[in-house]
Amino acid sequence: MRIDPARLSASEQLRRSTRQRRARKLLGHAIIYAVMIALACVFMLPIFWMASTSLKLPRELMAWPPEWIPSNPQWGNYAEAFGKYPLARYMLNSAILVIANIVGALLSVPVIAYGFARFDFPFKNVLFILMLSMMMVPGHIKLIPLYVLYLRLGLIDTYWPLILPSYFGSPFFIFLMTQFMRTIPRELDDAARIDGAGPWGILYRIIIPLCRPALTVVVVFTFLWTWNDFLEPIIFLRDYDSFPISVGLAFFQGRYSIEWHLFMGATLVSIIPILVVYFFAQRHLIGGLAAIGIKG
Amino acid sequence: MTTQERRDAKTGYLALSPWMVGFVVFYAFPIIATIYFSFNEWTLAEPPTWVGLDNYVRMFTRDPLFVSSLRATTLFVIISLPTKLVLGLMLALLLNLKIPGMNAFRTIFFIPAVISGVAVSLMWIWFLNPDTGVVNTLLSYFGIRGPLWFWDLHWALPSVAIMSIWKVGGAAIIYLAGLQNIPAHLYEAAEIDGASKWSRFWRITLPLLTPTLFFQLIIELIDAFKIFTEAYVITHGGPLKSTYFFLYYFYEEAFRNANMGYASALALFLLVVILSATVFVVRTSKGWVYYEN
Amino acid sequence: MKLLNGTRILVLVSLLLMLMLSIGSAGAQDTVTLTWWTTSGRDSPEPAIRNVIAAFEAEHPHIKVDVSIMAEGAYNDLMSTAIAAGEGVPDLAWYWSNNWLPQALDITDRLDNDPDISRDIFHTEYFNNWVVWNDMVIALPYDIGANFVMYNKDVFDDEGVPYPTADWTPEDYIEIAKALRNEDKRRWGGDRPRGPFRALWRNMGATNPYSDDSTTVEGYINGPESVAAYTWLWDLVDSGATPTPADLEVLGTEGTGPVDLFIAGRLGMATLNPGSMVSTLEAGVNFGVVPEPRVPGNENWVHGWALRAGIWKNSEHPDEAWEFLKFWNGPPGQRILMEQGLGHFPPIPSLLAEYEHADTEWYQGFLTVLDATQTASWRKDHPCWRGAVIRGVRDAWDLIMLGEIERDEVQATLDAMVEPGQAALDECVPRLGG
Repeated sequence: MRIDPARLSASEQLRRSTRQRRARKLLGHAIIYAVMIALACVFMLPIFWMASTSLKLPRELMAWPPEWIPSNPQWGNYAEAFGKYPLARYMLNSAILVIANIVGALLSVPVIAYGFARFDFPFKNVLFILMLSMMMVPGHIKLIPLYVLYLRLGLIDTYWPLILPSYFGSPFFIFLMTQFMRTIPRELDDAARIDGAGPWGILYRIIIPLCRPALTVVVVFTFLWTWNDFLEPIIFLRDYDSFPISVGLAFFQGRYSIEWHLFMGATLVSIIPILVVYFFAQRHLIGGLAAIGIKG
Repeated sequence: MTTQERRDAKTGYLALSPWMVGFVVFYAFPIIATIYFSFNEWTLAEPPTWVGLDNYVRMFTRDPLFVSSLRATTLFVIISLPTKLVLGLMLALLLNLKIPGMNAFRTIFFIPAVISGVAVSLMWIWFLNPDTGVVNTLLSYFGIRGPLWFWDLHWALPSVAIMSIWKVGGAAIIYLAGLQNIPAHLYEAAEIDGASKWSRFWRITLPLLTPTLFFQLIIELIDAFKIFTEAYVITHGGPLKSTYFFLYYFYEEAFRNANMGYASALALFLLVVILSATVFVVRTSKGWVYYEN
Repeated sequence: MKLLNGTRILVLVSLLLMLMLSIGSAGAQDTVTLTWWTTSGRDSPEPAIRNVIAAFEAEHPHIKVDVSIMAEGAYNDLMSTAIAAGEGVPDLAWYWSNNWLPQALDITDRLDNDPDISRDIFHTEYFNNWVVWNDMVIALPYDIGANFVMYNKDVFDDEGVPYPTADWTPEDYIEIAKALRNEDKRRWGGDRPRGPFRALWRNMGATNPYSDDSTTVEGYINGPESVAAYTWLWDLVDSGATPTPADLEVLGTEGTGPVDLFIAGRLGMATLNPGSMVSTLEAGVNFGVVPEPRVPGNENWVHGWALRAGIWKNSEHPDEAWEFLKFWNGPPGQRILMEQGLGHFPPIPSLLAEYEHADTEWYQGFLTVLDATQTASWRKDHPCWRGAVIRGVRDAWDLIMLGEIERDEVQATLDAMVEPGQAALDECVPRLGG
C-alpha cells in the first residue's frame, strides 16, 4: 500500500520533520567532531612525536625508517630522567614559587585595579598607559640592574627575586582586572557606602567576590608564567636543590650532546600540572578573559 | 577640587602605590640604566666610558647587521601576526560550538601554549628535522621531498612563524571569551529577521569582537617583535641572516660579544619601535574597533 | 608600667640576634667559604662534583666550598651578568669566554712556586693555548676538547671500503664519503665541517680569515688557500654524500656534532669530540678514530679546546681559592672526575694513560690526534674572530652549505665577504684592544 504524502496526519509529519532535524543535527555534530579530531591530531602531532621519542633508545633516535610507535618502548627512560636530576624536587620548587606568586598577584592586582577602575585622579590615564607600555620591555635589559639590586639587598640565592615582582602587580593582570571591575555596576558600591562601608570595605566585601572569573585568569596565567620562567631563576638562584623545573629541564642539554629521549619525557611530565589546572579552571577562565573586550 | 574628589584621589593613589613602587624598582630603574649605558662604550674588561652618540651613529649609519635584523624581525611580524589573528579566530569559532566534550578539545588546543620556550624549540628541531622529522616523513609517503625547514633559505622564517602559529590556542581562548560575551538576544533577533549564518558573523560577531581583536593584536604585536628563543636555540640567525631577529642580535652583542653599550642602544631602539607600532595601532583603532555601548 | 611592650621586645630580639651573629662569625673566623660556579653534565655528574669537593674539604678543614651546579645553558648569561655588574662574581668560575679573561687572577707565581703542582704535568698544547694569556697564567685547563673523525667500522665493512688512516687527504675524505653513501639505507658517507678556519682549513694552508696583526681581511679570507678550502667544501656538498646542514647545524650545538646520526649507523664518518666516544661506546657501535685529513706537506692541526677554571681577580680569598683550584684541576680532583664522570678526559697525560679503555685501538687513535698543533682561539688570532668577524663573513659559508652558488663563484663570493669582514674587524679590534 502506497502512502499518499498529502494524507499523512499532522502528527506524523511533525514526527518526520523532527526526525529529519535530529538526523541533520547528528550529521552536523559528526562533521564537527571529524573536523575537530582531525585538527586536534595535527596540533598534537609534535606532542605525539615527543612522546614517541621519549620511549626510544639513543641509537633509535635517528634510525631510518623512523618508528611512529617504538616497538620496544623504554619506559625506563622516565625513571632514568627523574633519577639523573632531582626533577621531582624541582617540580615541588616550582609549585612553591607558583603559590607564592599567586598569593602576591591576588593581593596586589585587585587593589591596583580598584584604583584605576573606581577613582579619578590627576594623571590617571598617563599612568595607565605607562603601565601598559611596560609589557614591551624585553626581559633581558632588566637583568644587570636587578642583579646589582638583589645582591646589595642580600636576596641572591633566595626565592624573593622570583616572587617580589608579583606583589607589585603585573601590567597584563592589572589591565584585565581594571576592565573587569568596570563591568560591575557602581550602584552596588553606592548601596554599600550608604550602609557605611569605606572604600576598602567596598573592595573586599562587594567587588572582589564578584571578580572571581578575573581572579581565575590571574591564578592560571601566574601559574603558567611562573612555571615556565627560565631567565630569572638562572640569574638569581644558585643552589642545585632550589631550581624550578624550567631550569631542571635545561640540564639535559649538555656541553657535547643533548639527551633527547630523557629531555622529551621530562618535558611531557612537566606540563601535566598546568594542564590539570587549566582543565578545571577553564569555565571561569573564559568568563574572566571576556573583560578584555569591554571598553576601557 | 571638592573634599570628595580629594579623598577619591587619595584613595586612588594609595591603591596604585604598590604598582608605583614596583614600576620604579622593576622598570624605571633598569630602563634609566639602559639609557645611560647606551651612551657608553662598555666591554666587560673595563668600566663604561662615555662616548656620546657614537653607538647611535653607528647603528643608523654603518651597521649592516642592524639592517638585517630589523628586516628579519619586521618580516616575521608581517607573516605571523595576521595569520595568527585569523587562525586564532577561526579556531575560537570552532571551539565555541555547543557540542558535548568541547572542554576536552579546548584543553587539547591549549597544550601548545603551555610548553615553555626552550622546550618548544627543541621539540620543533626534532619535529621539523628534514631527515627523520615527522613532517618530511609524512611527505615522503606521498613521494614529496620536503624542504630543509629551519635551514632552508626560503623556509627558515616561515618555519619559525609556523611554530608560533602552533601556539594559537592561547589566543583562541581569549577570542572564545569575547565570543561568549556577545549577548544571545542579538543572534536571536537576527535569526528572526532571517539573516544567514554568514551575515550574522559579519554583522554581529565580528563587530562585537573587535575590542578583543584589538587587545590581542597589541599583545601579539609586542610578542612578535620580541621574538628571540627560536633564533637562540634553533637557527642562530641563519641561513643568510633570514632569522637574525633583533632581540637575538641584542643578545649576541650583550651576552656573547661583551658589547654592552651598543647592545643597550639596540634594546632602546627596539623599545621605541614597539612603542611606535603600538601607538600606530591604537590610533587606527578608533576607525575599526566597535564598542557596544 | 608594662615590662615588655612591643618596642622593648623588638630591641631585645635584635640584640639577641646580633649576639648570636657575632658569636657565629667569631667561631667561623678560621673557616673560609669559597664560592664556585660549575656546570653539570655527563662528563661531570653532580655526585662526582660533590665527591671532589668532599675530598678537598677533608684535606682542608678550614676551607668550605659553596658550589653552585648549573645547567649548561644558564652559565653564559649568569656569568656575563655578574661580570657586567662587577660584583657577585664567584671566587672560582669557568672562564670560557675570551671576553671574561681580564677578570681572572694572574696565577703565574702561585703555579710556579707551588711544590704540589707544576705546569709540566699538563698537556703542553692545552696549557699553552688555553690558560696562558698575555704571558700570564690566568687559569688551569680542565678537560680535553678536540675534533677528530670517528668512523663506523661496520659501515666501512658493509661497503667494502678500507678504514681511513692518519695520512689521508681532504680529497680522500670526499672519495670515501661517496663510496660509503647508500641511498637504500638512507646512509651518508661523512659529515661536513662545522666552521671555517678550524683544523681542516689550516690543514689546507688557510690559517686565518685576516692578517696576523688583525688589521686586514683582503687577501686572507679571499686568498688562494682560503679559496681552495672553500672550494673543497663546495665539492663535498656537491658530492651528495653528506647530510644537510639542517642535520648538522640544527641538531648539534657548537661542538656537538651529528652524534645521534652516527650512532644510528646512518653516517659512516663524523667529526666528533671525546664525549661522543663514550656515547658511541655505550650504544655498542664498533668505531675507530683518525685525525682530520690534511694536504701532504702542510702542518698537522687539530681543532682543540679546554674548559678553564680560574680565580676572580677581586676574590677575597685568593690563597684558599688557589688551594681548591689546584686540587680540582690537578691530579687528585681530575682522577675522581675521570673515574666517576662519563667521558671526562683530563689534560694531564699521566692520567690519560690510566683511562679504563686505554688499551683500545680507538683510544690510542684519540691520543695520536692530540699530538697535532692546536687551532687555539687566540694564537695569532684576535678575540674578534669568534664573535664579530665570523658573523660578518658567515654568508659565504651559508651559500656554499646550501648549494646556492656554482663552483666558479666561490672566489667572487669570498671577495664579497671582504667588506663586511673588514667592517666587523674595524669595529671590534679598537673596542677589545689590539
